[in-house]
Amino acid sequence: MQLVGQVPLKKKRNKIHPYKFALWVACAAIVMMFAALTSAYMVRKSGGNWLEFTLPNVFYINTLVILLSSISIHGAYLAFKKNNHKLYKILLSGGAILGLTFVTLQYQGWQELIAQGIELKTNPSSSFLYVISGLHLAHIIPGIVAIVLAFIFAFIRKQEVTPLSKLRLELVVHYWHFVDFLWVYLFVFLLLQ
Amino acid sequence: MANIDTTKEAILEVGHDHGHDDHHDDHHGDKYQSSFVTRYFFSLDHKMIAKQFLFTGMFWAVIGAAMSLVFRYQLGFPEADMEWLQPLLGRWIIVQDGMGSLDPEFYYALVTMHGTILVFFVLTAGLSGTFSNLLIPLQLGARDMASPLLNMLSYWFFFLAGAIMFSSLFVSTGPFSGGWVAYPPLSALPQAASGSGVGMTLWTLSLVFFVVSVLLGGVNYITTVLNMRTKGMSMWRMPLTIWAFFVTAIIGLLSFPVLVSAMLLLMFDRGLGTSFYLSEIFIGGQALDYVGGSPILYQHLFWFLGHPEVYIIILPAMGIVSEVLSVHARKPIFGYKAMVFSILAIAVLSFIVWAHHMFMSGINPFIANIFVIFTLIIAVPSAVKVFNWIATLFGGNIRFTSAMLFAIGFVSMFISGGLTGIFLGNSAIDIQLHDTYFVVAHFHIVMGVAAFFGMFAGIYHWFPKMFGRFMNETLGKIHFWGTLVGAYAVFWPMHYLGMAGVPRRYYRFDTFDFSSSPGFDTMNQFITIAAVIVFALQILFIINFIISALKGKIVKDLNPWNATTLEWTTPTMVPGHGNWPGAIPAVERWAYDYGKDSDDGKDFISQVTPLKEGEHDGGGH
Amino acid sequence: MTTVIIITLALIAIIVVQIGRLIELSASIRGEEEAEQEANNRNAWGMLVFLFVFLAACIYSSAYYAPTMLGYGIEAASEHGDSLDQTFNITLVLTGIVFIITHILLFWFAYKYRRKKGKKSIFISHDNKLEVIWTVIPAVVMTFLVISGLETWNEVTADIQEGEDYTEIEATGYQWAWIIRYPGADNLLGTRNFRKINTANNPLGQEWEDEKNLDDFHPNDIVLPVGKKVRVRITARDVLHNFYLPHFRLKMDAVPGMPTYFVFTPKYTTEEYRQILKDNPSYQGPADETEPDGKKRWEAFEYELACAELCGKGHYSMRKVVRIVSQEEYDAWLKEQTSFYDQNVKGKAGVDPLLSVSHDDHGHEGEHHDEEAHEDEGHEAEGEHSEEAHSDEEHNEGGH
Repeated sequence: MQLVGQVPLKKKRNKIHPYKFALWVACAAIVMMFAALTSAYMVRKSGGNWLEFTLPNVFYINTLVILLSSISIHGAYLAFKKNNHKLYKILLSGGAILGLTFVTLQYQGWQELIAQGIELKTNPSSSFLYVISGLHLAHIIPGIVAIVLAFIFAFIRKQEVTPLSKLRLELVVHYWHFVDFLWVYLFVFLLLQ
Repeated sequence: MANIDTTKEAILEVGHDHGHDDHHDDHHGDKYQSSFVTRYFFSLDHKMIAKQFLFTGMFWAVIGAAMSLVFRYQLGFPEADMEWLQPLLGRWIIVQDGMGSLDPEFYYALVTMHGTILVFFVLTAGLSGTFSNLLIPLQLGARDMASPLLNMLSYWFFFLAGAIMFSSLFVSTGPFSGGWVAYPPLSALPQAASGSGVGMTLWTLSLVFFVVSVLLGGVNYITTVLNMRTKGMSMWRMPLTIWAFFVTAIIGLLSFPVLVSAMLLLMFDRGLGTSFYLSEIFIGGQALDYVGGSPILYQHLFWFLGHPEVYIIILPAMGIVSEVLSVHARKPIFGYKAMVFSILAIAVLSFIVWAHHMFMSGINPFIANIFVIFTLIIAVPSAVKVFNWIATLFGGNIRFTSAMLFAIGFVSMFISGGLTGIFLGNSAIDIQLHDTYFVVAHFHIVMGVAAFFGMFAGIYHWFPKMFGRFMNETLGKIHFWGTLVGAYAVFWPMHYLGMAGVPRRYYRFDTFDFSSSPGFDTMNQFITIAAVIVFALQILFIINFIISALKGKIVKDLNPWNATTLEWTTPTMVPGHGNWPGAIPAVERWAYDYGKDSDDGKDFISQVTPLKEGEHDGGGH
Repeated sequence: MTTVIIITLALIAIIVVQIGRLIELSASIRGEEEAEQEANNRNAWGMLVFLFVFLAACIYSSAYYAPTMLGYGIEAASEHGDSLDQTFNITLVLTGIVFIITHILLFWFAYKYRRKKGKKSIFISHDNKLEVIWTVIPAVVMTFLVISGLETWNEVTADIQEGEDYTEIEATGYQWAWIIRYPGADNLLGTRNFRKINTANNPLGQEWEDEKNLDDFHPNDIVLPVGKKVRVRITARDVLHNFYLPHFRLKMDAVPGMPTYFVFTPKYTTEEYRQILKDNPSYQGPADETEPDGKKRWEAFEYELACAELCGKGHYSMRKVVRIVSQEEYDAWLKEQTSFYDQNVKGKAGVDPLLSVSHDDHGHEGEHHDEEAHEDEGHEAEGEHSEEAHSDEEHNEGGH
């Protein structure tokens, strides 16, 4: 095999794996999509004819849920690095369950709104709420799929800390943190608006 | 930006990139490489993906241009009998009293499809997709993209988007016909235009897949440029092509998601009855339930993509032209750093000028002030680029290859079309020019023809790298001179129509006196005939392309243009997957040492040649 | 027919391709180096020839079409139009100079520095001084253009000042025509509700409960007095349209649910403008091709209203005539107009909500009454009483 990097490198700054970098770039694109929606929200709101309503209580709880899930997943990652397989599995499953809880509760939140008579078509303000939270949920789901896959692999595969397995987990963790903080941003945005 | 350094270890970690043939870790091993399907269809090799983008782009270019001929025929010869087109266009030709005429609805569908196809499928995917894929790894000294898999998916999403758009041509209510900008309410209500039904649904779907394709590609290009440069290839040693592709990808990545958001809200309005864009509409004999939406909101979101989009189209062409001018003038590109900074300036400004498309849409006139200022500032970096290109020719030793001719043609087109932008960017003048043929002339010259010229320059220049053969230069020159004269013949007169106030997107001009002054019908016929000739020349180009790819003169010299850049250092003309079978060469100097004597008696010094003692890199003093 | 064309095209293509290949073949026989040099020179000359032909064609054709161009042959018919034309002209001169200089340099350099045997190119990578100069110059020119342009823009888009005398009219675009509404004697436009629109007798959804509506009328043509400010309220009923008066340098989108405005002052009556066009070469031919001896184009000239925003298949046909007349003629014309209500609604059972006392039962089919839109429209119409409103009132009363 002809090695590419046989020449020793003099400088070794931020060593970022291309995949990880690619993920961040992709996240930037997702941020732009939500930035567009939230700016549209602000522009539209200033236009008047805007129904004010309080966010469903479930959303507050849910924000906590998703933050906990982020912490849990991060703990799982640290445990993985330290080769603590048991803790890794526990925390990973914890994160996955919390993630699924988030999805269910988000749905609950919508039900709560509908019960109040605030439906998709009621007013642009409610339309925006459903679209923004729905689109966020659409980004949560691939995250959960990835965690569940990691979870399955944790049981059927021998766990070794190789650069490759570490990278894979890192990608999952980074994405999950991203969608979590995205929700926090959206939640705070909706709250303040 | 430059502090994310190339580390070979990082690449080795995943192990997908360390050899020329076993490039991907788990799914695609060696054994799949030889299969026909993975080689030509689901290829992971960036060079094959580049060709796929190119071929698909060419296919769409022919379709899109052929559509323009049909509506040009209508505009040039509104009284002509079109019955003979019926076998091709079927029910869209209305035959009455033995005279066939084009259905106005279909005229608008053609205009819409022409715009969408050319802007997105040809000049975005076909241009940036082709050359970013071909050149980024080759000119940076990488074996492939950061993720060949995503790269392949990028193409197939593009293909899917194309397939959906193509299928929309055959639905019974016709393809979308509300203009490529798809402004609601026209695009939202099937009652408003028959193309706004299924046609629009397919259009939206196609564009969403297209955005996915652009994003997958963009993520890859950015990552590859920042992380996978060979040793010694600092950012300031990258050829301008790479700078252009890199910045293009960043612009695309930040602007295309906004289009998805705009489309998402539009889909909700169309399908689920929300009122994001619609308000107080009475159509088809009934008042609709929408209240409180704003069509202008859509325009803001659309142009937030739409304006950067024109730079997504033109920047790669600029990069290619910079490279081709320098190589064939045998001179370093003049003001390399100024060129890079102007690309960056254009990129930044492109995000804060979008509302100059909306001066007449009812936005607050005060806000327009800000957008006028930013818009006209863009003229400065653009002017710098033009002056630098011209200065590059000064004192050169110019070889008029077809590539070089098209590069010079590009500069001419860019000047002509760019200068008219100064009129349109000025809101006061835009009052009379907005939505007239002046706009049509402006953007066709500056981003249509110019981008095509950049693309042609690139194809003629890198054809040897793609196919190991030369294109026929004589036909290339016929192609160039014909297209240069022909394209000006088509688009230059449109300025005059626009200055007479003739609105664009008119099915015929005789409904108004001011749009049918004496001489205009002759002018429209002239434009149409010129368009047919230009189209025929492009067919000639495609014939030349195909014949040359199969039977053209074989390239014997590994560096046929005497270029300094890395893509010409591969030991075979058309490298296999992995590009360099041996070690990747390290870069020792910038990409533009032309006109310097090398030790082996050549007039250029390759990027891989170490600097001599006391020699400054980058032409610095 | 089709097949013949295809076969001919294919034959031409084959011939051209064969010629191309032959030339390359003969080149390789004659000696590639020499042939290449010759071709190189030919193309270098081509650059020079193209430069001259192109510039000459540009200058000639622009002179040829000048009579048809807004601001050149077609004088602005509104007061603000001249300032737009002037801005255009300044920009044209500046960009024209740049266009000519850069093209001469581009093609002249291409010709001059064509490859010659034994010659070597000069190694110049950059020149800071030069680069600063050609960054600063465009920046200065642009600043000048921005400032002068914005000054004009803000002047043109300024709304009516308080206490100013003006006429307000309303233009509503729909697929594919315009409805013009005049405020009538009270000089106030009545409120509208899109849910009350019905094509038979209320195309704009006017609310007859609103007295301001009762004297509003819908004329076929736009008729305006010369020299007096007009504020056009522009709306749309279905999709986007654009209220475009080329001769007045006026263009503004018509947006459903969001009225827009444009203020302008007609400078010439239609008759005066015809006299201006009398000497314009592009207005000399017969107005009607089938009648070569009939009226000439300038004699039959009318100002036109067009649509300039794609609105569906009839987009190209939304024509309306605009007539600018003297104040006296205008007053006389106003007298002849009957309000839409009187003409189409008044006294008709089931249509006129003012017929029965409990008129509230009618017309409220829209359950979600749109308060917002209401307030909006009502608001604008208030307090816009201008002086001549009284005289209009008198005229109208006299007419009945």
